[in-house]
Amino acid sequence: MNVAVMKTKAEQAISENFEAVAEKLPGSEAVKARRAEAIGAFSGLGLPHRRIEEWKYTDIRANVKEIFPSAIHDAARITIAELIVALGPLAHVDAHRIVFVNGHHRFELGDLANAEGFKVAALGEILASASEDVSAALATTPEGGDAVEALNTAFMTDGAVVTVAEGVTVAKPLMIVFVRAGAHAHSVTVRNSLMVGKNASADVIEAHVVLPGASADAQLNTLTEVTVAKGAMLIHAKVAVDDGKALHLSNCDVTLDADATYRSFQFSTGLGLARNGLNVIFEGEGSKIDLSGAYLARHSEHIDTTLVVDHAVPRCESRELFKGVLDGHGRGVFQGKIIVRPDAQKTDGKQMSQALMLSEDAEFDSKPELEIYADDVVCGHGTTVAELDADLLFYCRSRGIPEKEARALMIESFIGEAIEKVDNEQLRDALAAYAMQWLGRSVRG
Amino acid sequence: MLEIKNLHVKLADEDRMILKGLSLNVPKGEVHAIMGPNGSGKSTLAYVLAGRDGYEVTDGDILWNGESIIDMEPDERAAKGVFLAFQYPMEIPGVAGLTFLRTALNSVRKKRGEAELTTPAFMKLVKEKGQKLNIDIEMLKRPVNVGFSGGEKKRSEILQMALLEPTLCVLDETDSGLDIDALRIVSEGVNALRDKDRAFVVITHYQRLLNYIVPDKVHVLADGRIQKTGGKELALELEKSGYAEYTHKAA
Ligand SMILES: Nc1ncnc2c1ncn2[C@@H]1O[C@H](COP(=O)(O)OP(=O)(O)OP(=O)(O)O)[C@@H](O)[C@H]1O
Ligand SMILES: [Mg+2]
Repeated sequence: MNVAVMKTKAEQAISENFEAVAEKLPGSEAVKARRAEAIGAFSGLGLPHRRIEEWKYTDIRANVKEIFPSAIHDAARITIAELIVALGPLAHVDAHRIVFVNGHHRFELGDLANAEGFKVAALGEILASASEDVSAALATTPEGGDAVEALNTAFMTDGAVVTVAEGVTVAKPLMIVFVRAGAHAHSVTVRNSLMVGKNASADVIEAHVVLPGASADAQLNTLTEVTVAKGAMLIHAKVAVDDGKALHLSNCDVTLDADATYRSFQFSTGLGLARNGLNVIFEGEGSKIDLSGAYLARHSEHIDTTLVVDHAVPRCESRELFKGVLDGHGRGVFQGKIIVRPDAQKTDGKQMSQALMLSEDAEFDSKPELEIYADDVVCGHGTTVAELDADLLFYCRSRGIPEKEARALMIESFIGEAIEKVDNEQLRDALAAYAMQWLGRSVRG
Repeated sequence: MLEIKNLHVKLADEDRMILKGLSLNVPKGEVHAIMGPNGSGKSTLAYVLAGRDGYEVTDGDILWNGESIIDMEPDERAAKGVFLAFQYPMEIPGVAGLTFLRTALNSVRKKRGEAELTTPAFMKLVKEKGQKLNIDIEMLKRPVNVGFSGGEKKRSEILQMALLEPTLCVLDETDSGLDIDALRIVSEGVNALRDKDRAFVVITHYQRLLNYIVPDKVHVLADGRIQKTGGKELALELEKSGYAEYTHKAA
């Protein structure tokens, strides 16, 4: 008997949920058809589980027993003051904002009126009102048969649709803020689309934050589709900070045309069970990507970073640096696949994943994979797992720094090397502040 | 006064003894130089003074101002005024020099019952002390010692010392790797700290340093003990005759 056919309670709940809300989800008939297709695809696949190679270390089916009500008509409203509280250190980052609360655009919390250079719209509004072909184009399920992305198509309510026109260089970043709030259990599904035109250049920060007091029972599915046109550059940060319980399923699918640059930074902390998927396809020659990130996990938090970089064409460069700090029973997973297709000569790919273990009960699984079909390439990967360096601790302590503080300083230094990759100084400071807060609680405290 | 009494030290996870009954007194206000062949235990002594793990004191004691320090944690010792300028200063990637200095200074001040310094007061102090050692503030914005040349690392150690104002200063081969100008600058930095309440232990291989930092006494450490003590002229003698006499005696 094929076990995959047997549906778990959660899988059943998802299908039932869909039946219940399908009519209320935004979108024309064409969009509804796409959603129905997607839920059909999901039914065939089920929740990802450990017998699927890419989900070996992150078994969603086994860990997600319950599905929370979809925040389809979520009325949660927050004030600007609450938004600032939820943003925490991110509030100090000078950026235009578009704000969503429990997956619904809240116009009054944003300041897009003068977001010069960006064309920003809310997906929910587009789905509800735009022409068939425009809205249907936004409701596709990315190829690859991923159950999480299929669920995203089925349930997505809203998100930011951002375009930067050809040749435009935008100075000030755009921050797409997703706040979760409200004392009720909820599941939220959002989708963004970032399109950067030829020779344009922009900086987008995607922030997933929580308003204190929000229910700990939260599930998020987020998908961001990115296209960077010829000669364009996108700097894209994703910051996910929650209170330690939430399920966070995230995907970012990136396509680059020739001579394009994509710099990504993913920061995660306080996520109960997280999967950060990042898929990049090089479609034009001479492009460069830098995918980096930092994550901190403790208690029994689980943070999975899964990258697939597809060098489909020659002369592209990819750099990856991910650093994780794991305390308590925290678990980090890093999977990094670099595919170099037969034609992709002169590919230059380097990947590094490092974990710092603060506890004997912490766990780190790393699976770098190089699939190289071309011969004239330079590719490499490395993984390190370490504890705090006793010599450096001694050096700090010999300068009078107490042990706890020395440990915090060392952890900051470890994670700081990744955070240094963030181009925006204010964002860098905000992420360092999050790291300090985390240390304040689990190391200094 | 620093009193080292019959100190026996072995490696924590090996049976080998490194210091075998070392005794030495360094009164406040004095500078004592320690010279000796490679591998004789000079750095070991320095580390044991600072409280590094990996060494085990099997016998003897170390008193600083009449108080035994051998059971104290390294940061407690630092608060009591002990400072070691490392033979090989460590690099701390990711921690800006200024952050490190400020954390260290404020930790020590707190333990000594003094108020933490405000940012402007701290910056002013670092600039002033840095200038004397030819260390630009820009250098301190970089991670601690990362990418520094050998000489820059040594100067950075002396800057830390100048900021923390320790009362027992142990310098482990601070002169190695310094060019002629840096040697003078570092020596001036050390001499500026000399006063009646401070004791210095200066470990060196070269008599030249002692022209700049003139010692009250010179000790020869070989085979885990002080084999001979003399005035500054002993360094000149050693320069000529080497350590054959002492290593021979030890054998
Ligand atoms: N952590 C250690 N592990 C193994 N051996 C050690 C350790 N520390 C010291 N030793 C050994 O102890 C002896 C003394 O070393 P130490 O570094 O104290 O010598 P030193 O006098 O400072 O030499 P140099 O002039 O070369 O700096 C050496 O034989 C050294 O190899
Ligand atoms: Mg030595």
